Amino acid sequence: MTVAEGAKYVAAAYAAIMAVLIIYYFMSSRRVTLLRRDLELLESEAKRQAPAPGAE
Amino acid sequence: MKKLLSAPALFAAAGVLLVVGVVLAFWYSPIDASSMGFSQKILYYHAPIAAAGLVAYGVAFVAAILYLRSQDMKWDRLGYVSVRIGLLFSILVMATGMIWGKAAWGVWWAWEPRLTTFLLACFLYAAYWVLRSVVDEEQRRATYAAVFAIIAFIDVPITFFATRLLPEGLHPVVIGPGGGGMEGSMAVSFGICMLGMLMLMAALIRRDLAIEDLKDRVTDLKTSLGG
Amino acid sequence: MSGWAQFKAILRKDLIRELRTRDMLVSMILFVLLAMIIFHYAFTVKEGADLTYFTGGMLWVTFIFAMLLGLNRSFAQEKDEHCLDGLLLCPVDRVTIFFAKTAGNLVFLLIIQAVAVPVFALFFIQRGFLGDLLPFLAVLLLADLGICSLGTLLATISMNTRSRDLLLPILFLPLIVPLLIAATGATTLVFAEGVGFGSVGARLLFLLGFDAVFLVAAWGTYDFAIGE
Repeated sequence: MTVAEGAKYVAAAYAAIMAVLIIYYFMSSRRVTLLRRDLELLESEAKRQAPAPGAE
Repeated sequence: MKKLLSAPALFAAAGVLLVVGVVLAFWYSPIDASSMGFSQKILYYHAPIAAAGLVAYGVAFVAAILYLRSQDMKWDRLGYVSVRIGLLFSILVMATGMIWGKAAWGVWWAWEPRLTTFLLACFLYAAYWVLRSVVDEEQRRATYAAVFAIIAFIDVPITFFATRLLPEGLHPVVIGPGGGGMEGSMAVSFGICMLGMLMLMAALIRRDLAIEDLKDRVTDLKTSLGG
Repeated sequence: MSGWAQFKAILRKDLIRELRTRDMLVSMILFVLLAMIIFHYAFTVKEGADLTYFTGGMLWVTFIFAMLLGLNRSFAQEKDEHCLDGLLLCPVDRVTIFFAKTAGNLVFLLIIQAVAVPVFALFFIQRGFLGDLLPFLAVLLLADLGICSLGTLLATISMNTRSRDLLLPILFLPLIVPLLIAATGATTLVFAEGVGFGSVGARLLFLLGFDAVFLVAAWGTYDFAIGE
């Protein structure tokens, strides 16, 4: 197998690795953003409710 | 030390090592003398990914034992995060292995020891996830998952052993580092890539653990507010 | 009550219960025989196809699937009748329960094999292999032990989940592959070529190692698998 032919496969393999890892990383990043947003909302809600603890 | 081991630092270190490793693999290490030729360059990532995947499963194994001894949920969490990363890496091993197989032997699949063992590992740890998904109680789920993680990890080397030792001469193709052993320049690039992959695995696990932590905080706040 | 006495008691209970009704045994035997018939029609597409080198595979696949059915049945029964809960209330060492149940399942499997193997030989094996009976029995016993011990451990877990019997094959089959490789290789050699302990020796040793490793692993983890 010549270098040229081999190079196609090598490139495909490395591309596959990069693609999968990057997709995984970005999917989890999206989850992190959503979670952080939820956390902020909930924390501000908690602060809002805190000043009147016995007002239920 | 804790700062040094935090996820961003690990990712950065892993990234540096992997890039350096790849550059060395292509520009410093010679082209493999065997029939594999240029396609052998795939090995510089393929084998480290395989090793890192197995280490991830090993982490799950240790975490399982620690959970059974302490009943502390944090070990259960480490367990399933490591399995998830291990599965990710196993899928990558199969994909790169198949590409390499096509390049080196002209076939997309061969029932040879390494591919088969990783295929079985994928099914084993997929079964781990199925098991987790059908148990609703937290403690019991963690216990069953831990027992299975221990059994599964023991089975992986046994499977490899079985496929190698027993069917005699079924597949003469043997994946090796090329030639008889590795020359110095190959070993250097290889070692750097290996270290980089292991760090990447550790970084991904750490990051996933932090995400689980975040999820916990959100759930806790929700229940305390909603209640 | 000593450990050995407890073991015998539990084993007796399981054996007597099954031998009294015999539903599980009869169904498993019928299943195994039917499977052989199906294998014949599944594989002999070509006129006069030679299945000699498939014999080990056919035999062990049949036994493994029969065992999955049997395990599901017996553990489901135990769970529905709350036998296991009663047993756990007694001061019995959990591991004794494991060994007793494994032994019980082993006995059932041997009974089924005693019926199935002669019929299998009738259907599929042309040459007489009585001379190689000893190596064959060794393979049988060792493989059975591995199947029963892993099966008992995993069935204990899977019965307590939502999927119950659906989960057991998923957990069991990937784990049993190494044993399958060794057992089918050895069995096919015995049936097809009639070899002595020599060439099946490596596989026998492997099976021995497999059994040892997983018996120890099950021993260590059964407490957790069965605990509440």
